[in-house]
Amino acid sequence: MASSSSSYPSGEDDDQVLVEEKAFVRTLTLNRTKQLNALSFHMISQLLDLFLAYEKGAAVKLIILKGKGRAFCAGGDVAAVVRDIREGKWKLGAEFFRKEFTLNYLMATYSKPQVSILNGIVMGGGAGCSVHGRFRIATENSVFAMPETGLGLFPDIGASYFLSRLPGFFGEYVGLTGARMDGAEMLACGLATHFVPAKRLPLLEAALLKVASTDPAFISATIQEHSELPKLKEHSAYKRLDVIDRCFSRRTVEEIVSALEREATGRKDDWIFAAIESLKKASPTSLKITLRSIREGRLQGVGQCLIREYRMVCHVMRGQVSKDFVEGCRAILLDKDKNPKWEPSRLELVSDEMVDHYFTKVNDEEWEELKLPPRPSNLPSSAIAKL
Amino acid sequence: MDRISRRAQVLNNHLTQTPPPPASSLHPSPCLSYSPPELTEKTHFDTADLRRLTDGHNLQDRDWLYGLMVQSKLFNPRNSGGRVFISPDFNQSMEQQREMTMRRIGYLLERGVFQGWLTAKGIEAEMRKFAFLEVVGMFDHSLAIKIGVHFFLWGGAIQFFGTKRHHEKWLKDTENYMIKGCFAMTELGHGSNVRGIETVTTYDAKTEEFVINTPCESAQKYWIGGAANHATHTIAFSQLNINGTNQGVHAFIVQIRDADGNIFPNIRVADCSHKIGLNGVDNGRIWFDNVRIPRENLLNSVADVSPDGQYLSAIKDPDQRFAAFLAPLTSGRVTIAVSAIYSSKIGMAIAIRYALSRRAFSVAPNEPEVLLLDYPSHQRRLLPLLAKTYAMSFSVNYLKTLYWNRTPELNKTIHIVSSAYKAACSWHNMRTLQECREACGGQGLKTENHVGHFKSEFDVQSTFEGDNNVLMQQISKALFAEYLNAKKRNKPFKGLGLEHMNGPSPVVPSRLSSSTLRDRQFQVDAFHLRERDLLARFAEEILKLLSQGQSREHAFMLSYQLAEDLGRAFSDRAMLQNFLQVEESVPSGLLKEILGLLRSMYALVVIDEDPAFLRYGYLSPENAASVRKEIMKLCSDLRPHALALVNAFGIPDALLSPIAFNWVDANAWSSVQH
Repeated sequence: MASSSSSYPSGEDDDQVLVEEKAFVRTLTLNRTKQLNALSFHMISQLLDLFLAYEKGAAVKLIILKGKGRAFCAGGDVAAVVRDIREGKWKLGAEFFRKEFTLNYLMATYSKPQVSILNGIVMGGGAGCSVHGRFRIATENSVFAMPETGLGLFPDIGASYFLSRLPGFFGEYVGLTGARMDGAEMLACGLATHFVPAKRLPLLEAALLKVASTDPAFISATIQEHSELPKLKEHSAYKRLDVIDRCFSRRTVEEIVSALEREATGRKDDWIFAAIESLKKASPTSLKITLRSIREGRLQGVGQCLIREYRMVCHVMRGQVSKDFVEGCRAILLDKDKNPKWEPSRLELVSDEMVDHYFTKVNDEEWEELKLPPRPSNLPSSAIAKL
Repeated sequence: MDRISRRAQVLNNHLTQTPPPPASSLHPSPCLSYSPPELTEKTHFDTADLRRLTDGHNLQDRDWLYGLMVQSKLFNPRNSGGRVFISPDFNQSMEQQREMTMRRIGYLLERGVFQGWLTAKGIEAEMRKFAFLEVVGMFDHSLAIKIGVHFFLWGGAIQFFGTKRHHEKWLKDTENYMIKGCFAMTELGHGSNVRGIETVTTYDAKTEEFVINTPCESAQKYWIGGAANHATHTIAFSQLNINGTNQGVHAFIVQIRDADGNIFPNIRVADCSHKIGLNGVDNGRIWFDNVRIPRENLLNSVADVSPDGQYLSAIKDPDQRFAAFLAPLTSGRVTIAVSAIYSSKIGMAIAIRYALSRRAFSVAPNEPEVLLLDYPSHQRRLLPLLAKTYAMSFSVNYLKTLYWNRTPELNKTIHIVSSAYKAACSWHNMRTLQECREACGGQGLKTENHVGHFKSEFDVQSTFEGDNNVLMQQISKALFAEYLNAKKRNKPFKGLGLEHMNGPSPVVPSRLSSSTLRDRQFQVDAFHLRERDLLARFAEEILKLLSQGQSREHAFMLSYQLAEDLGRAFSDRAMLQNFLQVEESVPSGLLKEILGLLRSMYALVVIDEDPAFLRYGYLSPENAASVRKEIMKLCSDLRPHALALVNAFGIPDALLSPIAFNWVDANAWSSVQH
């Protein structure tokens, strides 16, 4: 079996993913604590190799994925991508996303169970390498968000697949506003499959290390023994799913905003004001392509979603319609002035044709569509569409 | 002998066998497992490109509405084999189904689906409205009909028959469902023959009111969708009798219920009861007992009655008046034709996906069983219908464009083309569903798998908005008029695609090679030849009967055989032209080639199915045999693209059915509700 030390020569990246082998279980720990375990190209490559290797043979029955420190994973390392774009090398960024999305697809169709322990921050790319897997364990420390529209990007990593499958139109809410969720909310909406108090995690992990079967029902029962049913906090947006459905089901972003504003009058639900605020702060272009991506994703398989998102992300990096991604990363991640100057600056300036552009093939001779790796033909149906 | 001894062995096993092992040790591995067709079938072209051609318009709006339905509990989502399907619960009682239809409408209303359906101007709003109605009809025909009656019939009548005062008073309230409309035209005694209805309206100048009456049982309004439970208002069609003179059929607005659902005085309503399909629509019957309505409730776009009781109309001829009156209602036939094709698409997608995952019989011992769609006979059953579905899909798109861009000059063309396509598409749908049902075997009988059940849901399409047979005869009548016009006045044919009649008769080669058979020119020639000859024969027969002293009506009645043949010939030829137009719009490449295969399949199957080609000698028996052979070749040429072709319909998985996906998991013991 492959292990990190045999596949990768030693160097500074050497310990970004820690690998533990115990009986039939492999525990992979994301270890880039300073960057809140943001996924570097190197980490993604390593995870991809490991997952591919573990799928073969009977030596591995279960994979545990967790993060070191206070984050599970705060996303993909977009700062590095933006550096490439600024140097005119968006195609290097494309390679990053190609690898990342391939990993997402592998996880979504994996024939062995993956347990992700989300004891901390889970954002963007962090969601991508956990939500597609079979089991997602939230704790009281979990903080989940898809903050891409505020960065001039859109929820990628197959998010148009899993967000669109959340109850009602909660996925549109999560994807467009970038709203933060706690562990109880993650469990309630289905992003997490279990909730385990952090102090019980060592016991749970010990129990999981003894697993010698790939039977999901058995693993689920093991996790269940340590699980609790947390209470939603009093002002949780999830308690107002009816309002979310009414507003976020509307046909266009503009209509969603005005529906929210109508609901907000004469109310003092903080989450509505926060939602409106987020939508006004986010990149108008990002909002429009995000909504369309989720709507299309609702009707597509996870593979189709990733192929489409790959087109979209390449257009975002190429910046022919808008350069909001570079601007967003400047304002939020680099200069940290939190004051991005979006262009186009208002929703009504983003035309349907501009949005259409993001969904076309990239008109560049060297560019290729995302090619999904072949999967074994006898995949159980539970391997696909886990949410 | 061999069979007897084997049978004896089987019986012996039954008697001596040890008890079966406990259920827990049942192991699925040596059994059949489902393999998704996507893993083995290659897609050689971008199905999204083809979807743009078949759906034609408002793709994102459609996707939005699909999503609205899929995400709502009201649309009865069920998990089966790891997938969510939405479909009404047809196990509910008729009353429950009707209530669910109304609740779904309420949901769609709240989400803004109907915004602008009656109040927005312009072609864009109209296109979106059509797209939405199509999508809704794919979920449930009842839901589409209920919405169609309210917006297209009641709302359409207000829009087209009414004038400003009606528009201002009713359209906004209709769009918001403040009122619920229905459309009372058909009577127990009269359906397709609207001019024969017996409801009578008189005018009372003293009170400035109309008085509407149902004079006899055969005049009761029948099949009125919405009347039995929900509608508050109706358009009542009635003869208008002014001072003893019958001015013909007119339309009036009559309130039949108050907002709380109480039936108004002098109105009687009864249920049409349980039907073979569409039980989510509350069809009812209405009797008017000298109901008094204000003078303003006459929809007065072509005729009016003054306060003192004078009949006023710019159109003196009652026939013309009636025609002008009904022309805008063509939208019904347009939407039926489109909806029939979407139903066929669902049927085809389910049957073909199933045929790409279900196996039966091995060709040799120890070999895996053969996929249903790898049997040439199974291909022959499904793929020609797939080609026809494509042809008709392009044709109804053309029809829609024609309708959206309507002008008074185009009314005749729209009337004829919509009649032809409504009949052709609704017949095609019934035939397709039956074939798909049989092709899915026993699974086709389950309601959840749609192909069988849709037959009863969509059967009505060959009857409402004009009986198909009557429509075919009307087309021939219209073509006869064109023929006379051209011949008598020695003018060239113009319009309806009849220009080919002006040239010399096309000649079909005496020997048809494979490449000729697939050649568009040959196909067009063959279709032209048939239409031309049938029209000449039909005209000749009519003229002969007329010269023998028969009345015009009688002459048409007696020539029904040629009339129906000609109607079909016209419709088939027009559809071939629509197909060719789409093909021309596609750049060279694989997609264009595949469209060429589909078009050839369509053309050759039409030729194979119509005995007229042999009866009147358009093709020699040898050539007819070549056509048949070529269809087999086309089947194997299309077979590799079957999956891509049904995927390109763009139908969300949730609107297909369990047998279109993992039917082993969907039927597994673990999926049984214990």
